Amino acid sequence: MDKDKKSVLEARKISKVYGKKANRFVALKDIDLKIERGESVAIIGKSGSGKTTLMHILALLDSPTTGEMVVGGEKSTKLKKAKLGRLRNREFGFVFQQFFMNPNDSVLNNVMLPLKIAGISAREQKRRAMEALKAVELEEKAKNKANDLSGGQKQRVCIARALVNNPKVIFADEPTGNLDSQTGDKVEKLLSKLNKEQGITLVVVTHDEDLARRCNRQIYLKDGQIIRDERKKKTGGAR
Amino acid sequence: MKFFDVLKMANANLLRNKVRAGLTILAIFVGSFTIILNSGINYGVNRYVDSQLEAAGGEGYLEIMKMESMSDMIQMGGMGSGGPTEYDPDGGSGVQPITEDDLQIIRETPGIIAESVRVFRMVNVEYIQSLENDKRFNLSISQWPSDTLNVAMASGRMVDNNSEEFQIVLAPEFAEALGYTEESVVGETVVLAVALLPATRPVQVKRVEATVVGVQQQSMVGMGRSFVNEALNDALYDASLSALPEELRPDTNFFAMAEYDTSMSEEEVQAMRDRLSEHGLQAMSIRDQVGMMMTFFDAITIVLMIFGGIALLAASIGIVNTLFMAVQERTREIGLMKAMGLSSGKIFLMFSTEAILLGFWGSVVGIGLAFVARGVGNHLAAQTFLSGLPGFTLIEFNPTMLVVITLVIMAIAFVAGTAPARRAAKQDPIDALRYE
Ligand SMILES: Nc1ncnc2c1ncn2[C@@H]1O[C@H](COP(=O)(O)OP(=O)(O)OP(=O)(O)O)[C@@H](O)[C@H]1O
Ligand SMILES: [Mg+2]
Repeated sequence: MDKDKKSVLEARKISKVYGKKANRFVALKDIDLKIERGESVAIIGKSGSGKTTLMHILALLDSPTTGEMVVGGEKSTKLKKAKLGRLRNREFGFVFQQFFMNPNDSVLNNVMLPLKIAGISAREQKRRAMEALKAVELEEKAKNKANDLSGGQKQRVCIARALVNNPKVIFADEPTGNLDSQTGDKVEKLLSKLNKEQGITLVVVTHDEDLARRCNRQIYLKDGQIIRDERKKKTGGAR
Repeated sequence: MKFFDVLKMANANLLRNKVRAGLTILAIFVGSFTIILNSGINYGVNRYVDSQLEAAGGEGYLEIMKMESMSDMIQMGGMGSGGPTEYDPDGGSGVQPITEDDLQIIRETPGIIAESVRVFRMVNVEYIQSLENDKRFNLSISQWPSDTLNVAMASGRMVDNNSEEFQIVLAPEFAEALGYTEESVVGETVVLAVALLPATRPVQVKRVEATVVGVQQQSMVGMGRSFVNEALNDALYDASLSALPEELRPDTNFFAMAEYDTSMSEEEVQAMRDRLSEHGLQAMSIRDQVGMMMTFFDAITIVLMIFGGIALLAASIGIVNTLFMAVQERTREIGLMKAMGLSSGKIFLMFSTEAILLGFWGSVVGIGLAFVARGVGNHLAAQTFLSGLPGFTLIEFNPTMLVVITLVIMAIAFVAGTAPARRAAKQDPIDALRYE
């Protein structure tokens, strides 16, 4: 299909500058990047190299100082705030290093949050949240308080939350950063399974070599610039 | 996001910090309770007064006093604020006796029914006694003013002003005091004694016999008085003056009574009153008299309401504080929800809803405790100062009023919540997500 060839996200000559004058700091410099549908992309680099900044811009959470983002053929600067919100809500899923859950709320409620924001009916919210929990093998924890889960379980709940709205792209910022290697491994497998089996495009920020290797594309950042962009020969996305 | 979900979330967020929310609600409650209870008392009193006025009738009935203005009467009561006025031997200030000329003016005033005009002679009765025994009781009487008025009767009927017979209707409780029942006393003869003027010690009295034609029920119009017909009133009046030479008899006719044509329009009634007023004759209906009393009562209510309002103002500062803290605590959560596409408007709505909920619960708790206070207050009142007034419930709630008060408090809470809610809505998701 024609649409498949189109990139999901495209960054055109993106720069990000923080601060002014003496405090001026260039976090990203002239980034050109196309992310194709079904790809799994690892963004790798030292601390402070601009990985998180880049991911936020790709996910339309932040706007670049110069350059532009193109999403589904449309320039993001042309989109209204409400439309951007809807786009993030319907097409993107997010996983963060520090989980970001409501610790006192139930697991189920946490997973339902994107669906609540989307304004979906209560029954459908529950059905889809349970489905997502099943995908991360945590359906029996649905009623538990989110705070009572282990770190690995928490991150799996976050993955369930990220995929509950059937997104096109999942953004994950150091999803294994707070986990030991064994639980981290489980999360990594889960993410790459979503990519391979459901064709969800994956953008992962990491400095975990294992996780990076599982992806079929590695982008190396250094001081805000792409220094290497490698693709494996065979793209892994099924469809 | 659906509004129901916003509501659920706002409620859950409140419950997250129960102590803080509880204290804020408590602060709101102080204001709401004060206002609700006050409005309840005001409503209860007004309703009772209205029902009594309704029952009292008195349409087209006027009591007329001679004075320059209504404020003279207040001055007479010692409540004047104008300071001392200079003495005038010819009178001219304060309340004057009604003369024959005045009565003529009243009779000639268009709208007044001429034959209804009469002076209202005040008579002090020393005691009442039955013919059967020696027990004497203090009694206050009044001439039955007008058949336009209604007084509920326990037995018998009201006195007849057109009858030559000396008739009396007893105030409640006198039937038993005199040794009868409310039924058996009707038709019996009682003795009324008036003190002879000039006053002497021991008091010299003249006794007049009268027939009991009925016993009235307790009411606001009755005010514990017994009513006599004109013939008896005149006889008692004359008896009290019988020992005085003609020229020494005091002029004690401070009231006139009159009825007017009730088919007149409001403008015509006003014109009639204005004409009387031009001659220094101030006419008051039953409603006017009660209205004067109620003005004082309303003023007190308003002052107490203002106290409640001040309490609410203080409470709304509490709401602002509570919500600013909540916004601070939930920085990350707000950022996360925004990242997931929740609009600023909805964030604003969520925090506003929280503020409104605080107001709602504060007012609901206020209503709840006001109902408790109503139960206790009415019970105590009925046993003490209202024991003589059956049907008078001190505190009554008007459902519309409760709804309006709740809505107003919710609106105040909303306004208080706008500043924190705006701060939450303006938050940048990036800052929130980077926030440690
Ligand atoms: N709001 C800001 N104001 C000023 N400088 C900022 C701001 N946000 C990020 N930076 C700077 O931009 C650079 C890139 O930050 P970024 O968070 O993207 O790094 P990173 O590659 O994700 O690092 P890490 O692996 O430690 O998470 C850092 O030097 C950081 O100090
Ligand atoms: Mg980072």
